[in-house]
Amino acid sequence: MEKFAYFDTGHEFPEEIVMAAGFTPYKILGDVHEPNDPADLYVMNYICPFSRSALTEGLAHSNEWAGIAFCHGCDTTNNQYDIWKRHVKTDFLYWINTPANNNKAAHAFHVHELQRFISHLEKKFNIKISDDKLKEAIKTSNKVKSLLRQLAALRSTKDIPNTDYHAIVKKSVQMPKDKLIIELEATLKDWQSRPKFPAGKVPVLVTGSDISYPEWMEAVEIAGLRIVRDDMSLGERYFAETIPETGNPIEALVNYNSSIPQPPTRLPFEARLDYLWKCLRETKVKGVIYQTLKFCEPHLLDLSYMEEQIKKAGYKLITIEREYTPTIDQQVISRLETFREII
Amino acid sequence: MLTIGIDIGSITTKVAVMENGKILGTDVAFTGYNPEKAWTEILERMLAKLGLKESSVDRIVSTGYGRNNVGIAHKKITEILCHAEGAKHFLPKVRCVIDIGGQDSKFIRMDENGSIVDFIMNDKCSAGTGRFLEVMARALEVPLDDFGTMSNKAKKTVRISSMCTVFAESEVISLISHGENRENIIAGIHESIAGRMVSMMGRTGVVKPIVMTGGVAKNIGILSALEKKLGVKLEVPETAQVNGAIGAAILAQNMNDG
Repeated sequence: MEKFAYFDTGHEFPEEIVMAAGFTPYKILGDVHEPNDPADLYVMNYICPFSRSALTEGLAHSNEWAGIAFCHGCDTTNNQYDIWKRHVKTDFLYWINTPANNNKAAHAFHVHELQRFISHLEKKFNIKISDDKLKEAIKTSNKVKSLLRQLAALRSTKDIPNTDYHAIVKKSVQMPKDKLIIELEATLKDWQSRPKFPAGKVPVLVTGSDISYPEWMEAVEIAGLRIVRDDMSLGERYFAETIPETGNPIEALVNYNSSIPQPPTRLPFEARLDYLWKCLRETKVKGVIYQTLKFCEPHLLDLSYMEEQIKKAGYKLITIEREYTPTIDQQVISRLETFREII
Repeated sequence: MLTIGIDIGSITTKVAVMENGKILGTDVAFTGYNPEKAWTEILERMLAKLGLKESSVDRIVSTGYGRNNVGIAHKKITEILCHAEGAKHFLPKVRCVIDIGGQDSKFIRMDENGSIVDFIMNDKCSAGTGRFLEVMARALEVPLDDFGTMSNKAKKTVRISSMCTVFAESEVISLISHGENRENIIAGIHESIAGRMVSMMGRTGVVKPIVMTGGVAKNIGILSALEKKLGVKLEVPETAQVNGAIGAAILAQNMNDG
């Protein structure tokens, strides 16, 4: 099945529409191991390195994709749409404007946006995206989300290294869903048979920018910290909620979108904090890591307030602004190790 | 009990030898390219000077960026804990520690029992660190050791506004070409480092008394710029530069006790 790529710095892209159109949704995550030189021709290097890496991937691989869609994200990524339009070779580049607000008007707007996306796909690829196909895709998505929730929950009771979790979540947004379900089911069996949560590890929650490469997860592991909860789009936010399986499927997708945990680009701001409190109530952690990718403005703007609130609630918190590199420097390890030592 | 603390920093390696909490000797050497060579040489020199053999040492704790290079260490502990411990040895009631090292600056806040409640380190950037001072010393052609006394002779403090070491160096070069005198520029450099440090400290809250450690604590210009901005007197141990190694040696003893 051909891949249909999407660039979404949040977790709001309607994968189900692409699945109903007969494509494999493929989330563009860039590659930290590849230099960003191709993208740096068009974007200054003080702009989010993750988004530049995504552009590098687009420039190199767009011919492997049936089409590309953007989903409203942060200002940096939103503005990249025009750069992609000019420089990335593709027959189909589309923009879905998911609303920032969560009210009646935003709901109607979002329904219209998704219908417009469907009609453009139908016209371009000469297909019919029926309600039945959408409902089938929603069921498949919900199966994936359910399996991921079960896997994620095992992190606090079993020995699941941070990189194992990262690998499976990454596959979930890039692999064909039928093959993915088989792999998730096998992984679930494997994880259920793993030894208990290791005594020497300290359970933590990670929030902040999406971590798109395993090396940073490994650094957290080296420091003796085990991520048992996360508040990331490439993580729990992607599978925290279930899409309604009854009624009009477009309405279902819009309702689902209004119920999912928010990225930092959405309003109201407090909803993000409410979701964090929910995670912290559900799972016992000994600390919170708030890591931000260099130049990740939405997270850096939230940081001060979030840091203050989390500390005020009595949680140990460490903030780290990280570089976009697979090489983890000793200073980051030292800070994480110290965090473990003091908690 | 004979314990040794080895602190391998980005610029210097420090060793402290202690017996039952009493400092027997300390030494400092450049870390250079080979941290292993640096710590083995300095340790051998230190033991020879004190007439001790390695076999008579009960515990060794290593700290600093190169802590994992010390194969003989019984334990490796991060520099934050070691600096806090070293500061407590100097001033038991200490509540905050400022440590400006070669490639990072740290601020540690402790509770009334001496336990660390929070810490902040500068992000991956050399501005506001010992390396920043080194770059500026080179640009001004002034030995780093003279920075403190020279800044005290400044008639005014020139504002250095660049946040980045590289750009700040360009700014300093521009100031030189505009005829600004070196003393005033150095005072500005100190002011800039102090400003950066105080902003960082404000994120966790400041409680007295405050101990300043690390090699930069020897610089009276930085010290007075920090004191002026904070409005408090900073306590500086004579052993400020080897404070991390002292803390490691103390933790080595406590480790055995525990």
